[in-house]
Amino acid sequence: MKTTMKRVTTTVLALGMMSGPLAAAELRFTIWTGNEAHLKMLNGFAESFKAKHPDVTVKYETIPPGDYTQKLTFQLAGGNPPDAGWLMEDAAPTFASAGVLENLAPVLNKAEGYDFADFSKPALGLWTAGDKVYGVPFSTSPFVIFYNKDLFDKAGLEDPNALAAKGQWNMTKFQEVAKKLKDTSGKWGFEFKDGQGYDTRIMHALMPPIRAAGGDVWANKQCGFDKPEAVAAVKQLHDMVFKDKSIVPPGEQGDYFSGGSAMTINQISRASLMPKAGFKWGIAPLPTGAGGESPVIGQAGVVVFSAGKQKQLAAEFVAHVTNKENVAAAAQFFPPARKSVLESDAFIKSNNLIPPEQMKVVANAIAKGRVLPAHEKSPQILAAMKPRVDALWRANADVEASLKAICTAIQPLL
Amino acid sequence: MAKTLTMRDTTDREKASWLTLKMREAMEAWLFISPTLAGFLIFFVGPLIAVAWYSLTEWNLLTQQATFVGLDNYEDALFRNPDFWHVVRNSVIFAVGLVPLNMALALSLALPLSGRFPGVVIFRTVFFAPVVTSAVAWAIVWKFLLQGEAGFINQILAQIGIDGPNWLREPNWAMAAVIVTRVIKMVGLNMILYIAALQAIPRDYEAAARLEGASGWQIFRWITWPLLGPTTLVIMVITTIGSFKVFDHIYQMTGGGPENGTLVLAFYIYQQGFQFFDVGYASALAMIMFVIVMILTLFQLVLRRRDT
Amino acid sequence: MSVSLTRRRIRLLNRACWTIALCVVAIPFVFPFLWMVSSGFKSAAEIFGSPSLVPREWQWRNFIDVFNYQPFARQYFNSLYIAVTVTTLTLLVSSLAGYALARMRFAGAALIALFLMSALMVPEEVTIIPNFFMMRWAGLVDTHWPLILLPTFGPQGIMATFLMRQYFLALPKELEDAGKMDGLSRLGVWWRIALPMSRPALAAVAIITFLNSWNLFLEPLIFVSSLQKFTLPLALSNFTDPYGMPLWHLQLAATSLAVVPILIVYLIAQRQIIESFALSGVKG
Repeated sequence: MKTTMKRVTTTVLALGMMSGPLAAAELRFTIWTGNEAHLKMLNGFAESFKAKHPDVTVKYETIPPGDYTQKLTFQLAGGNPPDAGWLMEDAAPTFASAGVLENLAPVLNKAEGYDFADFSKPALGLWTAGDKVYGVPFSTSPFVIFYNKDLFDKAGLEDPNALAAKGQWNMTKFQEVAKKLKDTSGKWGFEFKDGQGYDTRIMHALMPPIRAAGGDVWANKQCGFDKPEAVAAVKQLHDMVFKDKSIVPPGEQGDYFSGGSAMTINQISRASLMPKAGFKWGIAPLPTGAGGESPVIGQAGVVVFSAGKQKQLAAEFVAHVTNKENVAAAAQFFPPARKSVLESDAFIKSNNLIPPEQMKVVANAIAKGRVLPAHEKSPQILAAMKPRVDALWRANADVEASLKAICTAIQPLL
Repeated sequence: MAKTLTMRDTTDREKASWLTLKMREAMEAWLFISPTLAGFLIFFVGPLIAVAWYSLTEWNLLTQQATFVGLDNYEDALFRNPDFWHVVRNSVIFAVGLVPLNMALALSLALPLSGRFPGVVIFRTVFFAPVVTSAVAWAIVWKFLLQGEAGFINQILAQIGIDGPNWLREPNWAMAAVIVTRVIKMVGLNMILYIAALQAIPRDYEAAARLEGASGWQIFRWITWPLLGPTTLVIMVITTIGSFKVFDHIYQMTGGGPENGTLVLAFYIYQQGFQFFDVGYASALAMIMFVIVMILTLFQLVLRRRDT
Repeated sequence: MSVSLTRRRIRLLNRACWTIALCVVAIPFVFPFLWMVSSGFKSAAEIFGSPSLVPREWQWRNFIDVFNYQPFARQYFNSLYIAVTVTTLTLLVSSLAGYALARMRFAGAALIALFLMSALMVPEEVTIIPNFFMMRWAGLVDTHWPLILLPTFGPQGIMATFLMRQYFLALPKELEDAGKMDGLSRLGVWWRIALPMSRPALAAVAIITFLNSWNLFLEPLIFVSSLQKFTLPLALSNFTDPYGMPLWHLQLAATSLAVVPILIVYLIAQRQIIESFALSGVKG
């Protein structure tokens, strides 16, 4: 009885926030996936939200990932804001500092059984400022190595997991293996994330090896590209592309998922592409370097837009989507930042494509990993980096000078 | 007496009605022109004034906060930001590469194709086809054809033993590729304009010159070319303006890269305004672009007038 | 006899040389279309695998997947109806103004013409930001209104006005005067006499305006954000998987679908279209 009363009051409260007491509300929620399984799950969340808010429907609006942040900006700046939506990590600080994201803390703290403290602290770094919460990470997905087991077997090589078990899966071995794979199979040894390492995924290409070497792209407002660790790491990468010719070079295609490359780096959501791939495969941790194990995590969060008209309701929906139950349900696609889910056995077994022992790689990486660096000026930083990174990826490039040039370009922005 | 009176009366009345007629015509004319004029004021004059105003502010597209900063944005562009001059340089290279190439090719195609021979219509149709194709589609296709080793162009080059460059990955090649593919896209339009102009030249001129023993080149140099003058001017002006507003082509093919090698003004304005949310700076850039295009157009007009 | 024969032979040879040269030059004009259509039938892997123009396996599915991937039919329709609306409006507005500028005497006509002409020299990029704010103020962002209003009244519309004006100027006045004698109003003269006589100019304006709207890119990019409201040029660059990887085969299939119908219309009406453009340049 009590709960029913409560339910009624919250409904009334929520309705009060809306245009009219009787009007059915519709929340507009932007996402970048068009994947049917994802949509089915998201619609399930909207359905269960009706338990508390029977009159509320949620309309998911898919914006293609390539233009996502740009189109979202046009919607916000154009006076046509969605109520809530996904946000990519690199946009989070920009949006938060521009004041377009709503502080969710009041709603999250009040939400029944929400337990905000359950989220791992490092995973919240991008999304909180003081006690303000600008977004809740729904995907905290570490980068892992996807490998083509068939190509490893054919080349007579031990696969990365076997090497990792022996403690030999490091950057030197990685370079060696990639070259052997290329020489024996004629396929590329390694492909950058989605083949976009020279274009839209600059960071995803450079960051893991730099961190493995113990460096960072920037930290404490200091550019790190020109530090010795980073230079060494990038030099090795450059050699792999242009000397060993084992990494797919700029302007070429070597799609891992259709068998064009023996290894790639990506997040576990891509496992959904593997059943169609037609070869044996596995996932392994990133190779280590002088800096030891240093997993890299990519994030995406759910946010509420300040310009929206149904902020309270939208915030409640965010609280609903990121409660324990729903985070656990989403874990099969989007690795969670909730410790309770992460540590659960269910998570290790949640992905029917990836065997539990490999899922442990993922869980371990989430626990130890660090997110990609973000910055409120990240669009400018990326744009400033881009031409200099282009210069880096030429066969005759002076790696050290190019990295220095990157730092010169981005230091004022940091 | 009575007669004169009536006569005077009618002229007066005629005068009056003539006046009202004139007024009426003017009023009707204003009515006829009012939709165009209103649209022009709302969507062109107003925004132009607004841009001038925005350019004096610091204005964030996302936060919607504006503060007056005077000429700061202009100083930024002209003196502080090295990218700006690089972008202007690119725009100029693009125009200087595109306009002469386009016009020379257009004229060389128009000369044979202004005649009559079997197949002439087919050729005209072929050279004009890219003009009616969307710039986005055109750029998408060429982007594929110009890929590194796997690209079609380079595969063909490899078969005749040439190791083609990674066209869109090296700044100078990328600029050349962007210019050439744009010329192929747009040259048909100028070709048609030249054909129309060539066909309007009376045949007698050429016949008379031939009788006097003039060579083909002489006829072209001293008769055809001067007569094409007005058309050449029109073509030069529209092609130059067109080269400054190229956006979709660059956006699709290179996105301004590599190494900002194809970052031109129109794209830079878009980037600053809509990707970095810096409305003030983008507006200052727009004003600068406006001035550059105006000066170039006037310059061409003056040059032409002095010529003739 | 023999002299004229050799002369003829030389002329034939000359012509053959010309034709061959033109054929060679034509390759980069024709080939992209062939390659585009052929690649639209290939699998993603084959596009980069073999340079052959004939697909190993004809992937008809690509052309179905294009429609499953995004509301492509809807986007196609958007482009079509917007282009038709813009064309109709432009014809109406520009022929009215063009007629007034050409035929009616009123104070300031020359000044207005000069004033309007300045718009032809200013790239759209210059005024796009304030136009964006204005559309937001009017609540028209993420609608098709900006894509209709801006081309109709912007530089394209002004261009059309001048085209019409020049054509009206060249028309004989006598018929119109006769019409006035018969008691037709100005509007009547414009509608019943001037317009029917300017079919070529109207056709030119219609064709140029339609193509311009059909291929518009910057404005849709900025003003439209929901997939349902996309126009074709925007939709074409949008074939990526949920993770942002481009789906080349779909993109090329979609590009073919967007380009081929226009090409067919062009081939059917090529004479008219080419003449229209000739008219636009010479008179404008």
